[in-house]
Amino acid sequence: MKSIAATLITLATAGLVWAQTATTAPNPNVRHVIGLDTSKRNASGTLTVQDGALRFKTRKAENTVPIASINDIFVGTETTQSGGKTGRVVKTAAIAAPYESGKVLTILMRTKVDILTVSFHDPDGALHGAIFALPIGQAALMRTQLVQAGAHATPDDSQTSEGGKP
Amino acid sequence: MSRSHFLAFLGLCSALVVPSMVSAQSAAKPKLSATAIQIAMVEAGEIQIPAEFRFAVYERLVEQVRASGAFQKVYRSGDRAADGIPDLVTLHTKVEAFKEGSQTKRELTTVFGATKVDVTASVTARDGRSLMDHKITGRVRFFGENLGVTNDLAKRISKLVRESF
Repeated sequence: MKSIAATLITLATAGLVWAQTATTAPNPNVRHVIGLDTSKRNASGTLTVQDGALRFKTRKAENTVPIASINDIFVGTETTQSGGKTGRVVKTAAIAAPYESGKVLTILMRTKVDILTVSFHDPDGALHGAIFALPIGQAALMRTQLVQAGAHATPDDSQTSEGGKP
Repeated sequence: MSRSHFLAFLGLCSALVVPSMVSAQSAAKPKLSATAIQIAMVEAGEIQIPAEFRFAVYERLVEQVRASGAFQKVYRSGDRAADGIPDLVTLHTKVEAFKEGSQTKRELTTVFGATKVDVTASVTARDGRSLMDHKITGRVRFFGENLGVTNDLAKRISKLVRESF
């Protein structure tokens, strides 16, 4: 009986440790929608909370937003098309397919994403809003990490936006 | 139709068109002047609109108004650097209606699923005087995600601002 209990505790602890590592690992599939000065629109990169700042890193640029300058965080959802630029080109080309069969791609290529909006002020007091598209379920985790790191955010219930009709 | 009839018809047309052109020209307002503009955050009031739409409109407005080149300086909301500028004008955007559509419906039917935002865009002087006030609608009808409506709206507002200044 004791051995079973010990095994269960060990498994539970391992699960907790795994869960914690999973939430802190940088997500490489974050898309910058708009709002960061040095990153291009729709650039993909990693979004992390590190050394008192929210960091968005692409191959070419890195943006940091100090946690202390964040005054609100919003989480929403949006249905978008998967495949990025290539996907868009394929869908456009599919318009020429006979009997409008190309429209099947619209159903096949749709994907739901989380939208994370971070409102912050720069050193001059100017308001900025950085918007990111994350894989579904990731934005709430990122929001929690930011709040734990000291970012200001109004309570969750009122701030979750209702966007994202498919 | 005989030649005389044709000439009479032509005369009638010019009689109708020319005065309307003249009145349109005389009605054209003189351009306003300001060296700097501050973009205020989009107000939603009682309208339910997701935060990402409000912030996306605001960010795209800053981009578009800067790109228009109508002002020497474009300041964001809350920027302290704008405090000392005497001829600063402020662009306010207030959401009047919002209808979130569906990208899938749009692309499958081409008729249904449009996303639409109605706003009132106004420019005020430092003393609160209204310099410009327009109702504008942004739409995304066929391709693109719902957030694309913010780009359409910002382009329209920026065009109006450029035409006024």
